[in-house]
Amino acid sequence: MLDPILNFVTSCRASDLKISTSEVLDCMRHLTLIDPLDEPQFKTTLMTNFVKTRRDMARFDELYNLFFHEIRPEEKKGTGELVRRDIKDAVERMKKEAGESDLMNALMEFLGGNPAPLLEQMHELYTREEEKPKAFKIKNNMGQLASRLEIMLTLSKMKSKVMTITGEMYTDAESVTKAEVDAYFNRMLDRANDMLTGDPKPLNDSLIQTNSVEKRLNELGEVSFSSLTPEDIDHMRSIIDQLVRKLKDVASRRYSAKNRGVLDVKKTLRNSAKFQGVPIEIKYKNKALRKGRIITLCDISSSVWAASRFMLNILYALQDCFSKVRSFIFISKLAEVTEFFEKFEINEAIQKTLTEADIEYNVPTDYGETFRDFKKDYLHDLNTKTTVIIIGDGRSNYMNPQAEILGEMRDKCRRIIWLNPEPMHVWHTGDSEMFTYKSYCHEVRPCQNLNQLMDFVHELVL
Amino acid sequence: MKFNSVEEVQVRLGDVNYIPSREIATVVFLADSTQKPVLIEGPAGVGKTELAKAIAKSQGRELIRMQCYEGLDEAKALYEWEYAKQLLYTQMVKEKINTVIQDSTSLAEAVDKIAEQEDAFFSDRFIQPRPLLKAIMSEKPVVLLIDEVDKSDPEFEAFLLELLSDFQVTIPEIGTRKAKSIPFVILTSNNYRDMSDALKRRCIHLYINYPSHQREKEIVKLKLPGIDDILLESLIQTIGKIRNLDLKKRPCISETLDWAKSLLVLNIDRITPEVLSDTLNMIVKYKSDTELVKKNLTKIVG
Repeated sequence: MLDPILNFVTSCRASDLKISTSEVLDCMRHLTLIDPLDEPQFKTTLMTNFVKTRRDMARFDELYNLFFHEIRPEEKKGTGELVRRDIKDAVERMKKEAGESDLMNALMEFLGGNPAPLLEQMHELYTREEEKPKAFKIKNNMGQLASRLEIMLTLSKMKSKVMTITGEMYTDAESVTKAEVDAYFNRMLDRANDMLTGDPKPLNDSLIQTNSVEKRLNELGEVSFSSLTPEDIDHMRSIIDQLVRKLKDVASRRYSAKNRGVLDVKKTLRNSAKFQGVPIEIKYKNKALRKGRIITLCDISSSVWAASRFMLNILYALQDCFSKVRSFIFISKLAEVTEFFEKFEINEAIQKTLTEADIEYNVPTDYGETFRDFKKDYLHDLNTKTTVIIIGDGRSNYMNPQAEILGEMRDKCRRIIWLNPEPMHVWHTGDSEMFTYKSYCHEVRPCQNLNQLMDFVHELVL
Repeated sequence: MKFNSVEEVQVRLGDVNYIPSREIATVVFLADSTQKPVLIEGPAGVGKTELAKAIAKSQGRELIRMQCYEGLDEAKALYEWEYAKQLLYTQMVKEKINTVIQDSTSLAEAVDKIAEQEDAFFSDRFIQPRPLLKAIMSEKPVVLLIDEVDKSDPEFEAFLLELLSDFQVTIPEIGTRKAKSIPFVILTSNNYRDMSDALKRRCIHLYINYPSHQREKEIVKLKLPGIDDILLESLIQTIGKIRNLDLKKRPCISETLDWAKSLLVLNIDRITPEVLSDTLNMIVKYKSDTELVKKNLTKIVG
């Protein structure tokens, strides 16, 4: 029992499920308590120990099916043993001819019943970072596509190879065993192809999607940011100012209520000395303010800048409510603008953000590159008190979206909220990666107008 | 009373009006046999808290429940010193202190003598146990439900680790208290934030989803035995179709039950678009959701 479970764990780890040794130990202990031949019980035992979040369940199901069903040749009476032996022989023969190629070896192992190396190759492929071309500026995800194509070609090469080898092994072309062996290899190679073409995406049932329809303000609140006139913007500024003042009041009230802590015996007793030991004045322990931290990543490419400007406006004003607000802007590279926000008055700060931040304007938006930048320099800055707010339309010009970095960020912070200035119905059109990113966020919401923005700020602070 | 097999879990939970899927029964059995805490995730209203209650009932254990929220600290979860009582005792035994120190010749000696008595004021006598300590100090094993653990702060989560792995807690003034009996611990989470790996490692994981068509039927039938079969079938189908819409808050089992109850009260035996529209506020909880369902009325009931 131990060997197949350990092999399974290796496969799971190769596809990025985090399974610790203590979990394997627990699982082994649990398996002794149930009937392992009862499949629902067996599967539940593995799942309950190895998958600790809903998001990984789909991946676990996939691996479980692959490992315990698909790569096992069917047990048929009489021929089963023979088929297994022949499969092994055929794989051994092919291995001799395979040479040193990692990919070939991984595929051989896969055919032989061990999917871990192939899964590792796939995982590496999905999370590959694109090399930067030196000579010209245009970026792409050709590296990933090329490797995918290479695996596909190898697969089809192997298909014909398998036919030749089984042809050599069996003199009788009508043999039942040969048909079974052929079917097995074909199924496995098709399976490998499916794995390659289907993107692994985590589930996220608990995602909060908010699309508020309540009309709270006057009509101005419903006008999209991109169609506001300069007069509207002026008018809106004053509304935002009012809103921010109100929010500050609420936040400070909340903190002052929280501040009243439990009775401080030491201080009370010390104070009671004045009154002959009678504790007339009760002293309370004051609690330190617990303030959240916010990190904002703001897309400032032309399509979303109108909304970002308002968002930054609000965040600028809210710095008092949060112990630390760090703001970044990006198009394809990340630039920190926190300093401008701390030093200058709002309009000047935004002006400086636009002109002085280290941002290249004439490049296509690249979210993958931005996340990579963030991972390199700031990932360590995230902790369980940080809320990450990403403002952008998720349109990454068909470049590698690097969604797994967003996953790493999710693992480290309290929550990730994505505000999208586009209406929801266009999220899945064209080069929008919103559906890829969505599963890694705690919350996504459209944020096209003042009402939606206000809803968001209310919920963020309160 | 411990469970002896997965089948027994199913039967005994069924006896206390909880119909578990085979998966739920397996996890409960494993947790019970190996004394591991269970972390239950799932959308609101699918019966996470209910499961803890059912386990307590079926095993004849007391249920100790702790509701988590932002800002929850040790004082509220574990124990608190009863300051008022301590102060009162100080006043009352003032005279006694004089007799204790009356033989001392120097101030240092008097202080030493008082110090010897110090433990009297930081002892179990003045501790006010909160849910976690209660669960640990209980002579009989209990079911400890730590509800909505994802709403608590990371600090509190870290504090839970000692309890979950060793079933002990440390009170700085008087030392470590080990569990007299190991409680059956259930943590529930709505995934407001991700729990730390350390916490997850100490628990086995269970995801409870919306029930299957058949299971939901059984549940409603169990809770409302008088319901007509044809009405029940169309009720479950309608709820299923509503769940498939892109709602802010999907209806869960408790809402299905509420709706079924109100249909019975209103003496309705067939679901029509008008009936659904009139009783919609039993099922959906947001204005935008109501609008969405109303738009699709004929598609849902057809």
